[in-house]
Amino acid sequence: MSQFSGALQLTDLDDFITPSQECIKPVEIKRKPGKVGKLRVEDDGSYTEISHEGEETHLEKAKITLNDCLACSGCITSAESVLIAQQSQDELYRVLKENILLKQTGQSSQEKLVVLSISPQARASVAAKFKLSAQAAARKLTSFFKSLGVHYVFDAAFANNFSLIESCLEFEKRYKASETTKDSLPMLASACPGWICYAEKTHGSYILPFISSIKSPQQIMGSLVKDYFAEQWKRTPDSIYHVAVMPCFDKKLEASRADFFNEIYQTRDVDCVITSGEVEKMLLQENINLNDMEEHRLDALYSNDVEDQLTNHQGNSAGGYLEHIAKFAAVHILETNIEKLTYTVLRNQDFQEVTVEISGKPPLKFALAYGFRNIQNIVQKLKRGKCQYHFVEIMACPSACNNGGGQIRSEPNETQKNRLQAVEKIYSSVDVVDPFDLKPVKELYEKWLGGKGSQKAYAMLHTQYHAVEKSNNAINIKW
Amino acid sequence: MFPFQGIVHTQTVKRLKEMHTLTEVETLSGHSDRVWCVSWSPNGSLLASCGGDKSIRIWGKEGEKWICKSILTDGHTRTVRSVSWSPCGMYLAAASFDATTSVWSRKAGEFECLATLEGHENEVKSTSWACTGNLLATCSRDKSVWIWEVTADEEFECASVMSTHTQDVKRVKWHPNKEILASCSYDDTVRLYREQADDWECFTTLKGHSSTVWAIDFDKTGSRLASCSADATVKIWQEYEPGNPECVATPDNVSTWKCVCTIGGYHERAIYDISWSHLSGLLATSSGDDSLCIFSEIHSSDSRNQPQFELVARVRGAHSQDVNCTVWSPTEEGLLASCSDDGTIKLWKLERDEK
Repeated sequence: MSQFSGALQLTDLDDFITPSQECIKPVEIKRKPGKVGKLRVEDDGSYTEISHEGEETHLEKAKITLNDCLACSGCITSAESVLIAQQSQDELYRVLKENILLKQTGQSSQEKLVVLSISPQARASVAAKFKLSAQAAARKLTSFFKSLGVHYVFDAAFANNFSLIESCLEFEKRYKASETTKDSLPMLASACPGWICYAEKTHGSYILPFISSIKSPQQIMGSLVKDYFAEQWKRTPDSIYHVAVMPCFDKKLEASRADFFNEIYQTRDVDCVITSGEVEKMLLQENINLNDMEEHRLDALYSNDVEDQLTNHQGNSAGGYLEHIAKFAAVHILETNIEKLTYTVLRNQDFQEVTVEISGKPPLKFALAYGFRNIQNIVQKLKRGKCQYHFVEIMACPSACNNGGGQIRSEPNETQKNRLQAVEKIYSSVDVVDPFDLKPVKELYEKWLGGKGSQKAYAMLHTQYHAVEKSNNAINIKW
Repeated sequence: MFPFQGIVHTQTVKRLKEMHTLTEVETLSGHSDRVWCVSWSPNGSLLASCGGDKSIRIWGKEGEKWICKSILTDGHTRTVRSVSWSPCGMYLAAASFDATTSVWSRKAGEFECLATLEGHENEVKSTSWACTGNLLATCSRDKSVWIWEVTADEEFECASVMSTHTQDVKRVKWHPNKEILASCSYDDTVRLYREQADDWECFTTLKGHSSTVWAIDFDKTGSRLASCSADATVKIWQEYEPGNPECVATPDNVSTWKCVCTIGGYHERAIYDISWSHLSGLLATSSGDDSLCIFSEIHSSDSRNQPQFELVARVRGAHSQDVNCTVWSPTEEGLLASCSDDGTIKLWKLERDEK
């Protein structure tokens, strides 16, 4: 059973050919001029080429990387197996073991600095599993990971401050541009990698201009760790191993995108993504009950960060994009203050709209659309020019990220729905902050990024999308 | 054509078998490639067909002859695999290998493409309208079943995407009077769906066939379902509602469906289609062995739990190639339509033999 979100599973298909057979990615073939030699199949299944002159060359196996898979319009199932090899708790264990070995052999300077960022949705899932408060879960998880040799355990919600601020600014910019530019509105949320992957593979260049260019909190966390902190810690990005704990399997695909790869240092902004479910597996493997773990003081992400306290944002587990953009737009476009937004449920709970209006000005319309069926309706409306919204918070999973495919499963005596409710309760129990009011965020904009709208801010906080060309390879023709 | 004097499979024959003769009434030619599907309009006055030539043809009776009244050619870029009329007869939905489903509205005898439903990843195999006319189902080789809701302003919105099948989904069919959907697949199963809270869910999976289930059809009451398969058998599934007198367990207060009869030994190859007449109760099947079979239920002591069916008519070589689809007229008892890879549509009349 694939663990990817529904939107991605739909693009994984084939009833007659297995994914490995179907892989259509052309592999580079180096041809030498001259006569064709012979091929010999060895006992171990490898191939040896025997040239015309009798010279033997052992042939290397063609390897398909995850990036090949992502750049291809074919299946995604083969990407899954590649992923498991590259991004799993085993990979994290491997790095931690290597560090220990280096220390033992007196090569401590070669050790990687291991940084782990936990998303608030994944943390809520762990908390629900062990019946802990969000705060207690955060402290106990900090203990657990530090006991394994992780150096810093951060709260990924901090990066969401930047995602939210940039989203508000981008919306205002797009709204102003909409008078002259056709494809600036509706702005579509970009934090969900399942949705991004589906849009790139299936709807390509038509939909992509509408998608916000803001990186997801996971990837902004990547920029913070591998750029800002690397400098603070006087480390090169490749000497830091950055792990993100996420509620979602698709996040592994996101971390592997070429856009988030540092060519100079040959390193990714997020080296490894593990899900909350995989954290549960690690606890099992270590034979540890999280409840028995000591509570560790939380690592402050920034010296002026709210001291030893978790913080979160207004809105639900999708990250609060609609909530923040609607309120920001009310102030900056309609020049009015809105305390509380009214959500109207449309076709189902996962499709709701918010209208902000004052007399004399055209109203602003926002929608949240979660799950594949609602994504479909938004995409089709957009294609027919009938989408009336200014911003749509799109997420691949019904009920958004607390319900992510990587979250810990419910107990046998508990329904999945009850577990989700418990996770949601814990998620929303954390105190909320306004990202625009946070002193550390303001300082980072100045010190790290050189102000809002700077070139550095764009490089660190924004990204781009790439339409995947449908392949017309003969083997890909479907009958 | 002569009645098939088949081998009698029951050990004790208590009565004489009532044989019927299926007589070809008319051959409708026009499609330039294989014909995949024929569908009667609800009042039986029109017959829609579609096929490999990417077109939809509408046939109507003039005098004693069925003639082609319209050809809809600009809707699809690849094979049109199936067509289905809305219960009011004013809309026609067509599923195509081009991954889209077109919906045509019939106004003053003219057909106009009202909407093209996009979303399936690849070939759409079948489409079906619910009894209320408010819901349309589609299924595809992408393994998913979609339910579309018709809004007041003739828009179609996706109400659900269900990916419970593990392979190509061949057919979708709605219950005759409830909002319950059935689908069947290359994964050898039949699945039933209902609306639950604000989404749709698969509430039961019917396993029994040993190969692709090509088609399904409900009887008039909707409490029985017939399925036909590449394993060359037909299976009859009975619904056991909560509180049923047989005490068949119904977990979570949901009806249980059980296979109560398997009809085999007649077709020599895959059975591609099955039609359960709501007028006569007869089953018609069409097959890759180029033949058509008609089955009738034998009156038995326990027809609910142990129904028995017998072959009452058979036409070998009904078409010169695979018979892809067969369907009873909803209004004229004994009138049957079939279509084939041989590019033709045939109309048949079933009559009881004089004793």
